[in-house]
Amino acid sequence: MSILANKDTWVVIQGGAAGLNAARRMAEFCYMIKRPLNVEAFVYPPDAGKTNEVSYGNGLLTIPVYKSVADATAHHPQINTSLVYIGADRASAAGMEALNDPKIHAVSMITEGVPEKDAKLLGRHARKLGKVFNGPSSIGVISAGECRLGVIGGAFDNLVSCKLYRPGSFGVITKSGGLSNEIIWICSQFADGITTAIGIGGDAYPGTDYVSYLEMFEKDPQTKAVVIVGEMGGDLEERAAEWYGAKKRRIKLLAVVSGFCQESLPKGMKFGHAGAKEGMKGEGSARSKADAFKKAGATVPDTFGGLGPAIKAAYEDLVQSGQVKPIPDLSPADVPKLPRTVDEAMKSGDVVVAPLIKTTISDDRGDEPCYDGYPASELINKGYEIPHVIGLLWDKRLISKQEAEIIKRIMMLSADHGPCVSGALGTIIAACAGIGMSQSVAAGLIMIGPRFGGAVTDAGRYFKYAIDHKLSVDDFLTYMKKNVGPVPGIGHRVKSLRNPDKRVKELVGYVKSLGIKTPHLDFALAVEQVTAAKKDNLILNVDGTMAAVLVDLGFPVDSLNGFFILSRTIGLIGHWVDQKRQESRLIRLFDYLVNYAAPKKREVPPLK
Amino acid sequence: MAKVLEGPGMGLMKKWGILVPNYAVVVSVDELTKLGEANEWLKKSKLVVKAHEAMGSRFKLGLVKVDLDFKGAQAAAKEMLGRQVGSITVSQVIVSEMVPHKDEYYAAVKSTRDGAEVLVANCGGIEVESNWDRVKKLSLEAGDAPSQQALEKLAKEAGFSGEVAKKMAAFAGKLFACFDSEDAQYLEVNPVVARQSDGELIALDAVTLLDGDAKFRHPDWNFPFAAEFGRAYTKHEMEVMAVDSKIKGSVKFIEIPGGDTAMLPAGGGASVYYSDAVVARGGKLANYAEYSGDPPDWAVEVLTEKVCSLPGIKNIIVGGAIANFTDVKKTFGGIIAGFRKAKADGKLKSVKIWVRRGGPREKEGLEAMKALREEGFDIHVYDRHTPLTDIVDMALQKK
Repeated sequence: MSILANKDTWVVIQGGAAGLNAARRMAEFCYMIKRPLNVEAFVYPPDAGKTNEVSYGNGLLTIPVYKSVADATAHHPQINTSLVYIGADRASAAGMEALNDPKIHAVSMITEGVPEKDAKLLGRHARKLGKVFNGPSSIGVISAGECRLGVIGGAFDNLVSCKLYRPGSFGVITKSGGLSNEIIWICSQFADGITTAIGIGGDAYPGTDYVSYLEMFEKDPQTKAVVIVGEMGGDLEERAAEWYGAKKRRIKLLAVVSGFCQESLPKGMKFGHAGAKEGMKGEGSARSKADAFKKAGATVPDTFGGLGPAIKAAYEDLVQSGQVKPIPDLSPADVPKLPRTVDEAMKSGDVVVAPLIKTTISDDRGDEPCYDGYPASELINKGYEIPHVIGLLWDKRLISKQEAEIIKRIMMLSADHGPCVSGALGTIIAACAGIGMSQSVAAGLIMIGPRFGGAVTDAGRYFKYAIDHKLSVDDFLTYMKKNVGPVPGIGHRVKSLRNPDKRVKELVGYVKSLGIKTPHLDFALAVEQVTAAKKDNLILNVDGTMAAVLVDLGFPVDSLNGFFILSRTIGLIGHWVDQKRQESRLIRLFDYLVNYAAPKKREVPPLK
Repeated sequence: MAKVLEGPGMGLMKKWGILVPNYAVVVSVDELTKLGEANEWLKKSKLVVKAHEAMGSRFKLGLVKVDLDFKGAQAAAKEMLGRQVGSITVSQVIVSEMVPHKDEYYAAVKSTRDGAEVLVANCGGIEVESNWDRVKKLSLEAGDAPSQQALEKLAKEAGFSGEVAKKMAAFAGKLFACFDSEDAQYLEVNPVVARQSDGELIALDAVTLLDGDAKFRHPDWNFPFAAEFGRAYTKHEMEVMAVDSKIKGSVKFIEIPGGDTAMLPAGGGASVYYSDAVVARGGKLANYAEYSGDPPDWAVEVLTEKVCSLPGIKNIIVGGAIANFTDVKKTFGGIIAGFRKAKADGKLKSVKIWVRRGGPREKEGLEAMKALREEGFDIHVYDRHTPLTDIVDMALQKK
């Protein structure tokens, strides 16, 4: 048995992300006691029509979100309780909406920082309708073995260690959320655990006070004793004491009150919850409350630490008088367990997982990324530059200063080639159509292939083949003609021997000036001698030059196109930003730029 | 609860139709001089000058001067501005017009569990303090407003009669309207005076406590809330408040000079029990602190640094109940970072640290705390099996 929240409690949660989080906590409890999830619906207007996913054991439940409480209760006639966990500025309206729904009998509010006036109006409205409004600032209500309403009780492990999977004999009422958990724990260690624990919230004017809950506990035969954790301020504790002392009660009452420190503090200093304030004229002090409880016949330990032994003594009395039968502990095998997530199982080293991917170049698991093992910041601080990072990530080696200089020059030479080439034009057309940067740049990059910029890899591959197989230029050209076709890296659309490509001259000149061994470049130049003699524009183009140099530096053939893609991306981004800056408008071809070779207009035959 | 100083308090009352004397809040004598050129009343009327700060006993401290002409007011303002009283520097004074009157009354509206109480008395000033039985009250349920008849009845019960009873009822009605519409928790006017010239009731002083939680629906609350305990906030307190206003969850910090036991507990409920335990064991609190609602670790780190900076501390109590959803490992991470920083700054020498906590990821959090021993911290770590406040007993036991 229990009060307020039980096996028949079915809940609508009014709230967004916070509400969903509460639902997940409630699902853990439901799973532990093997009852179906008690959250039937959410109400959150911005997400109305969507669904929320809540884990239940190793499965996933789909819970609908509605626009209003009326919608929720119409679709889920079982619902009789609302949990409000929405911003303080909307909480009052949400609480009223729930109270006004004829299907809802109880509303518990987790929201903190609700104006006092709103809390009072909610409390009054509930009393007028004969309903219960619990909170604001309430951590929730939990009935062992039956129901969790809110986030009270903490994590799953705590639910289990506090034996919340089965009822005990103690009721708990606290203002503080953290202390509710503490008392539940103490009751499970020093006695047989709880029936129901209620957080009434730490505000000055909780919607429902100790007395209302004491009356409910008094009527619940399973509850044999109630623990109240009070605070200075207000008169709720005094009222509870008055209720307890008014006549012979079935339940035992144990109480502690905080705020004795106030007596030795500078006057007016305020601690703790909003409700924890002494009255203008000194009423509501911890001492007056503790005295009131003592006078009414409650057990009042001097300190919080005394609560454990006091609960133990009360429990032993109950056992001795035969009112309570000790409950044997579950065997470890029967203790409920929550299926672990893969993450948790991995951390504890209990499972082996076959990796989905493997990487050999970089690792992001520490404070900062490491490239081939070298921390990025250390590379920076020791003077390394972008070409070195390329070396590490593309070829897994720390290249020399000289190699870095060559790569830098290659990139500078191929960063852009004006707006007319396929790549830039692709990006510009996309930019003018209002497309975003990544897609527009991608539109340009798509052009890179066998005819535009994408010949570097193939050029490198065949020059390398020639050197590896010690082919002569003639043998090479014969091989290419027979097996491949035109030589990649040779030939240019507009440049020729008489109109040489300045970029090629620059690069070749620089590399040759270094006095390093460049067998591939030398071979490529020798090929050019032969091909250009046959046809003027069959010169070594920039792709071929880059390819030969990069193969000479030792870069893998498959990485070579990357140098062009990377460099040209700089230019493509520039073109996109340029068009954007000019606010360029949509462009299209003029029809005089098209040779319309399609059939003339003709009649469509009937459909057969 | 948020206290509002007299100036903005009077402003709110004026907004709801309550007559208040002419007044001005100024920060310098120059400002007062300029105001004098623009406002006749400053030149013509007798004036009162008061320090406009959250402090008690202003009369005794010489921070209230009455019956002044404009020159006298300028001199009084000059004398008060910049004066240091304890931790407070007087940075504003309020200059108001004296209202010639004979009779002084009392009116207040107070928040109660069921709604509100309207209080009136036909005496005022210090007289009402010693004659509390002459204050009569009208109780109202939440959402209800008092009728003119009920207020007149109240005034008559308090000993008002005739025209004055009607005026007092009307005054109390406006005070209630102000209370209800402005989300006030307490409004007190003492004294209410009957102006000699025409008998109209004027509010000469205002005590205003507003519900800080309702600020979201009062965009015109453009004034700061005042510290509530008779002193200004310290630099460290304000730094923690600034952090508190930026985060999910909360961190709180109040310094108590002269103490030797520093507090760094979790949760608004448990933290007061920890403070009680320190006092019960004869310890002297050096501060109040609290973190709750799963605050980010950096906020807890800032709080920890402030706690470690308290002078003359011997013990730090890092207590806490079994958390519902505050991540123990994460928040302890903030505390540990704060401890390390403090130690690197040469603090925490011969300071003992006492830890007790439970909640999500408690094992990892407590392990990390324990590991601080190897870094030379004098730290003692306990889990949920040690009762809540036992660490205070251990810390403060006499050897």
